[in-house]
Amino acid sequence: MIRQGVVAAVLLVAPAVVHAQSQKVGAPPESSNMRMVGYNDLQARSAYQPTIHHQGNRWIAYIGHHGGTDEIPTPVNPLTGKAEPNGTSIVDVTDPANPKYLKHLPGAPGTYEAGGAQMVRVCDGASLPHADKLAVYMLRTFGGEAHEIWNVVDPTNPVLVGRLDGLKDTHKSWWECDTGIAYLVSGAPDWRTKRMTQIYDLSDPAHPVKIRDFGLPGQQPGATGAVPTELHGPISTGPQGNRVYFGYGTNKGGMLQIVDREKLLKGPKEPTPENLRAPVVGELAMSSWNGAHTTFPMLKMPVAEFAHDKDGATRDFVMIVDEAILNECQEARQMVWFADVSIESRPMVVSNWTAPEASGNFCQRGGRFGSHSSNESMAAVYYKKMAFIAFFNAGVRALDVRDPFQPREVGYFIPAITDKTDKRCVKVDGKDRCKTAIQTNNVETDDRGLIYIVDRANTGLHILEMTGDARKVAGLP
Amino acid sequence: MTAARRRTLIQVFLAATLVVALGVLAEIARKRVALGPTDGAGWRPIEWPFPRDGWPPGRAWRNRDGIDVYVRPKLGFCGNCDTGVVTDEEVDRVTDIDLLDERFVPVREGSRIRITDLAGRARLYKLKTRLGAEDVAEGIAVAYKCDLIVAIVAGDEVADESVRKRAHRFLESNTVQVWVNKELEAH
Repeated sequence: MIRQGVVAAVLLVAPAVVHAQSQKVGAPPESSNMRMVGYNDLQARSAYQPTIHHQGNRWIAYIGHHGGTDEIPTPVNPLTGKAEPNGTSIVDVTDPANPKYLKHLPGAPGTYEAGGAQMVRVCDGASLPHADKLAVYMLRTFGGEAHEIWNVVDPTNPVLVGRLDGLKDTHKSWWECDTGIAYLVSGAPDWRTKRMTQIYDLSDPAHPVKIRDFGLPGQQPGATGAVPTELHGPISTGPQGNRVYFGYGTNKGGMLQIVDREKLLKGPKEPTPENLRAPVVGELAMSSWNGAHTTFPMLKMPVAEFAHDKDGATRDFVMIVDEAILNECQEARQMVWFADVSIESRPMVVSNWTAPEASGNFCQRGGRFGSHSSNESMAAVYYKKMAFIAFFNAGVRALDVRDPFQPREVGYFIPAITDKTDKRCVKVDGKDRCKTAIQTNNVETDDRGLIYIVDRANTGLHILEMTGDARKVAGLP
Repeated sequence: MTAARRRTLIQVFLAATLVVALGVLAEIARKRVALGPTDGAGWRPIEWPFPRDGWPPGRAWRNRDGIDVYVRPKLGFCGNCDTGVVTDEEVDRVTDIDLLDERFVPVREGSRIRITDLAGRARLYKLKTRLGAEDVAEGIAVAYKCDLIVAIVAGDEVADESVRKRAHRFLESNTVQVWVNKELEAH
């Protein structure tokens, strides 16, 4: 009798478990304290970085794309009727409920990370010291071969301003809009790593000036011995903060490197081990099991628990986000780490966060599960209050980070898949076993408090807002 | 102590020693069996000699001449999924040669290598053993799409090309290939 009861219970529960393990086209999104405001399919192109720019009286989203897939290497652009290699989508999101696709600017031919134009940053000419004050400049990667600068003052008609050729294996760059200093993630000839930093002065985007190459000692030309892990991307706090936070590694052997910006830009430039070490003020070597995709500084944060302590009541933190790269959990969990960097020479991880796997059986859903990146906007609306983490098949996760010693999730949104969502496969007995799941790859926010998430598996752009009690965390009405 | 008592103690000691020795031998035998059989060319599986790191441990073998071969897949690690491993810098970066000596120095430029249907590059390195002796080892990296298979050939005489070729033939043998394919298929 008991056994019959157990069998009946298993039969009743089983369909729910199966449902939780796979997404279905047409099923509703899964969410908590987050709501979809608008959507655009981005012409079913695999997406990397979204950058939202307040441009005149409009809000424009610039979205970088990976190259196409083996099945569809050059999707058709409905605006031109032509098959175009994935590049940059330019979307007017002034009315977030009705995003308007303005332009697809083709990128480099090639599939996946070999093509496209993954990365994009935007600066106003008015803020760059020596630029055309009427222009709006978009800095983007061009596959693995160059960085390009476009004038997108008319976002429907971008005009090429300049091109930095020969910067191979491009990735997640940073551009200071008030100085024009650009930290371009690339590979340079003779360097022993695929990706390091090439620093340029782009204060006049039409006339780029190279400042120096930078990387970890051991990566420079002519070095021997072990090669330190490659760069993923930097974030600079500009001349005011005088720090650049570099994240090295992807899903293994990560490192957070804290660098004195002034010494980096003005110090000796020859890539010797001594010169590469000179501007470094602190490093945090992570476990061999975790990388560092995004290193997002959150400085001078008062910690309520320490309010009455004589010392250490206000602290500096860096949120480190690893990148999961293998489908269906075939690696160690990639997640979020909070490092207390108040004592810069001795950074220390003080907390961590991951989406609970069991809450969605994410290891069985297909595709990658784990973190990839966070929003990088430092606009007051969310900065040091909430952080948004792209978590692949677990969608976007909203964290309350007001106390980085105890981050907690206050919302999430897992978009529904569409008929355009690309499959993700693993080998089982020598054959591909494929599943289709959302792969939220990157996230960004704007000054209005909207959250933009884009999908690596071609599902498009979802524009979200916080709802319910979670809005209080950010002080939103 | 009487002679009889002394004799008894010696007998107990010898019996205990025998039991311990048999236990050790049984443990060695158990480990050997667990590692797998020695193949026809004399390559015997040994324990993965390196400490835990970010990659799952690989497999290691030693032949009768004291040549070691260490192999492990590094899934999703290829720098360029289209071209595979085409530069010496990538061989420096991805092979496990640094686990033998972090200060390895390339002997010369590397060369192309093909292990069954997987292509890549191999390079010879000078390094120092834990005891400070100079040694030579070969690092090999071949790619299957975005996945890498890396190998090290280490031991005396690795500078000798015929010794390396023998190790390459072993890398192509069923002993290695069946395991490698299984690992790749798990991805």
